[in-house]
Amino acid sequence: MGERLEKKFRLTMSWDYEKEEQWLNEMSSQGLHFKKAGFFNSSFVRDKSVRYTYGLDHQSGLTKKDGKLAEYIALYQDAGWEYVTSFGALWHYFRREWQPGEQPKLYTDVESLTTIYKNIQRVMGLMLLVNAVILIANMSNLLSHFKNALWAIMIPVSVIYFLIFALLGYGYVKMGSKIKKLNN
Amino acid sequence: MKEMLPLTEAFFYILIALYVEPAHGYGIMQDTEKLSKGRVKIGAGTLYTALNTLLNKGLIDHHPVPEGADTRRKMYAITPNGKAVVAAEIERLEELLQAGRNALITGKE
Repeated sequence: MGERLEKKFRLTMSWDYEKEEQWLNEMSSQGLHFKKAGFFNSSFVRDKSVRYTYGLDHQSGLTKKDGKLAEYIALYQDAGWEYVTSFGALWHYFRREWQPGEQPKLYTDVESLTTIYKNIQRVMGLMLLVNAVILIANMSNLLSHFKNALWAIMIPVSVIYFLIFALLGYGYVKMGSKIKKLNN
Repeated sequence: MKEMLPLTEAFFYILIALYVEPAHGYGIMQDTEKLSKGRVKIGAGTLYTALNTLLNKGLIDHHPVPEGADTRRKMYAITPNGKAVVAAEIERLEELLQAGRNALITGKE
């Protein structure tokens, strides 16, 4: 490899993924090409000689084991998209060489984009449910162990969970309004 | 099956491309562009999502990949249900065309 990776801080919310796409395209126009995704940091490779257009896709249930991921990547490759990386097994990054006047899109109709938005929304709803179950399990556990340290343990834990719920709930509603806007 | 109608342009072209013969994803994209004389271009994400939907609804199925070919490149074939949906959609479109043409003729007189 030997290429040097440069890190840039950016926290992108799932419902704003199109903005991340735009950001990656802008970075690429300045010679910084996205390579790896992280929770807070994205890694870039510097190269002034090329420019890419990035496409960010959301697909769940793609595993290496059953060959679904390879099959998926092969289809996008055939269509001219180079696979870059995946994040959290849900987000998949593709790119193609930038062409003046061309705005390549992974999704070319409202119906398929609606399907993807609904999938993103469903994943958020599921995470919300899973978190609720974990919260209940944790709370009954913590309550029995830390009866005396109620303030030191219970309050911080509750605050963290509240934030997670608020974020997922907000995302769920936000995706819902995006779906509505798209179909109007 | 009727709940699939009307078909989106992408669904329609995918189904009629496979009506002709089994194909892989990229073949479907090329066929669509050719059949629509360059008007309809299906993006990779749209195609992938549509293929999954059509598989789930039983309108298409996996087709064995020819020997020696890249196994990552899955092949698809239309099912009898898929053919029935295409026939129903063509009937629906014909009715629209007929009604539209009749209106144009009546309006002229």
